[in-house]
Amino acid sequence: MKTLSETIRGLASRSPWIYRINAGSCNGCDVECATTACIPRYDVERLGCQYCGSPRHADIVLITGPLTARIKEDVLRVYAEIPDPKVTVAVGICPISGGVFRESYAVNAPMDQYIPIDVNVPGCPPRPQAIIEGVALAIDIWRERL
Amino acid sequence: MLTYSNALFAVLAFPGGLFALALGLALKGADRRLAARLQRRVGPPLAQPFFDLVKLARKRTMVPDIAAKPVFLGAPLIGAVSMLLAAALVPIAGVYTPEPVLGDLLVLLYLLTIPAVVLMVAGSASGSPFGAIGFSREMALMLAYEGPLVLVVAAVAMRTGAGLGGHVSFSLSEIVAYQQAHGAFLFDPVLWPALLAFLAFYPANLGIVPFDIPEAETEVLEGPLLEYSGPALGLFKVMSALKAVVVLGLGIALFYPIAPAGVLGLAAQLGKLLVLMLLGVTVLRVSCGRMRIDQAFRFFLKWPLTLSLLSLVIVAFA
Amino acid sequence: MRFFKIFARNLRQGPSTIAFPFGPAWTPERLRGRIEFDLAGCTGCRACEQVCAGGAIRFDKTPQGLRFMMWHNTCVFCGLCTFYCPTKAITQSDDWHLAHAAVHKYEMAIREVIPYTNCSVCGLKTLASAPNPVGVEPPFSAEEIEQHRHLCAGCRKKAMAERGVKS
Repeated sequence: MKTLSETIRGLASRSPWIYRINAGSCNGCDVECATTACIPRYDVERLGCQYCGSPRHADIVLITGPLTARIKEDVLRVYAEIPDPKVTVAVGICPISGGVFRESYAVNAPMDQYIPIDVNVPGCPPRPQAIIEGVALAIDIWRERL
Repeated sequence: MLTYSNALFAVLAFPGGLFALALGLALKGADRRLAARLQRRVGPPLAQPFFDLVKLARKRTMVPDIAAKPVFLGAPLIGAVSMLLAAALVPIAGVYTPEPVLGDLLVLLYLLTIPAVVLMVAGSASGSPFGAIGFSREMALMLAYEGPLVLVVAAVAMRTGAGLGGHVSFSLSEIVAYQQAHGAFLFDPVLWPALLAFLAFYPANLGIVPFDIPEAETEVLEGPLLEYSGPALGLFKVMSALKAVVVLGLGIALFYPIAPAGVLGLAAQLGKLLVLMLLGVTVLRVSCGRMRIDQAFRFFLKWPLTLSLLSLVIVAFA
Repeated sequence: MRFFKIFARNLRQGPSTIAFPFGPAWTPERLRGRIEFDLAGCTGCRACEQVCAGGAIRFDKTPQGLRFMMWHNTCVFCGLCTFYCPTKAITQSDDWHLAHAAVHKYEMAIREVIPYTNCSVCGLKTLASAPNPVGVEPPFSAEEIEQHRHLCAGCRKKAMAERGVKS
């Protein structure tokens, strides 16, 4: 018999809203993220997710791209606007280690020196199914934080 | 005394308040599910809007530094409360007649303008430029669609009044009773232009593609709602769910309030709401792209306004 | 009006959504997924380290031997290492279930050591790596591979010369 707060937490965790931040990505991972939303084949709405247009509405943040020097300030500013509790998912290898751009002077990878990342989805770009798997893992982590 | 406590019950529990909220959220859930199925996707569970609301209640509302805080926080509250009151004003054929102390059709018309105004005010109070764009677009759209609404209501009221003996009847209960006695206005050819105008009006009022211009996600980053989070955003969702029930209920009361009494009447009302929602909102939402604000403005001035004016003129002189 | 035909068709055909994550996902046969490393087949040529696009493969000399290290979080899954490996000791499976919590970030790696050994003929300290079979006619048999593994570079040359070439 679950307590009331556990029931509410279970109900609330069935509606994670996703927000994408492109931190200088080549857009490969962004295209794969978009296919999980728009293509009927990989419907992320089954998990209750919804891509929202405002960072204030977000629960799960998908970050793509190595943190290029040009965009770093803006990404950190937008990231600060996202209310807690939130879960950050690094999509692709660029945010995790810099990927193929790791030796560039304009890149501030790995991203977890600036932003606390919770889930990694390696791949260049990862399959949409792999991104959905990462989002499902993020939902589990988010449920603990609610 | 009894009428006041009846009125309070109507506002808080049935048919307003919790009942209307649950109904509105269920309609939205059905809408999202059907939209997904029409796009060959599976779609969220039917109770998804309830989960959204529970989740929003658990997050915290962040207020921007440059926002006008009392207006920022008060606007969604006023919007939700106004729609709560409006839900108690809409009669359900065979089941519920609103207490006269609550108000009549004119009060309902005024209450229906409040959500749009609240959205505008929220947009400007949030202090962000996207909110300002949402403010101006909502204002233009509201100017466009309020005209046809008032004319449609006036046409129906005049028709009822003419049938009853020469005056204009602004009481929704009277309109419903007249239709139950003399046949629904859905089958009255004089009011068919008004019916068409109403069918064009309510997607704009509910903020559905092709008319969801002020809250466009991809264009203005959700416009007025950009800076809202947590329970304040939840109140906006409550307001829009209640508004769906009110506007669709108003349409049913104006044009087809024929239903058996009791539980069957309630079931008939739910069925009619579902049909209006799924055919008018979902199918429209899935098949159209979004209009530009000037295209929407021109559309409303061209077709719904002239159709409702036509109906009013025919009713007035026939 | 075409929309209504499309809607009727869509409702009739039902959702085209795949069952994942509530069911298994279809994987194409030659999907380039997780890297698999077969220590016994590695010749220590370091060609994979040269061609790796993501810089994911590193060889280090340790007191125990030559250490192969591969990190999946920089791998771009291009398949160049597999293409250039002479013995196909490094291959790609079709496993794409690589999403992990960030605390396990450095565990997504393969670390193997090719040990040092003493040459069975002259006793010199040498790496127990497999011999490189590229261009060898007739091809090595399994026993010859094992025998060559325990020879130093000089003794391998002598063994190859004595083996002769098939003409």
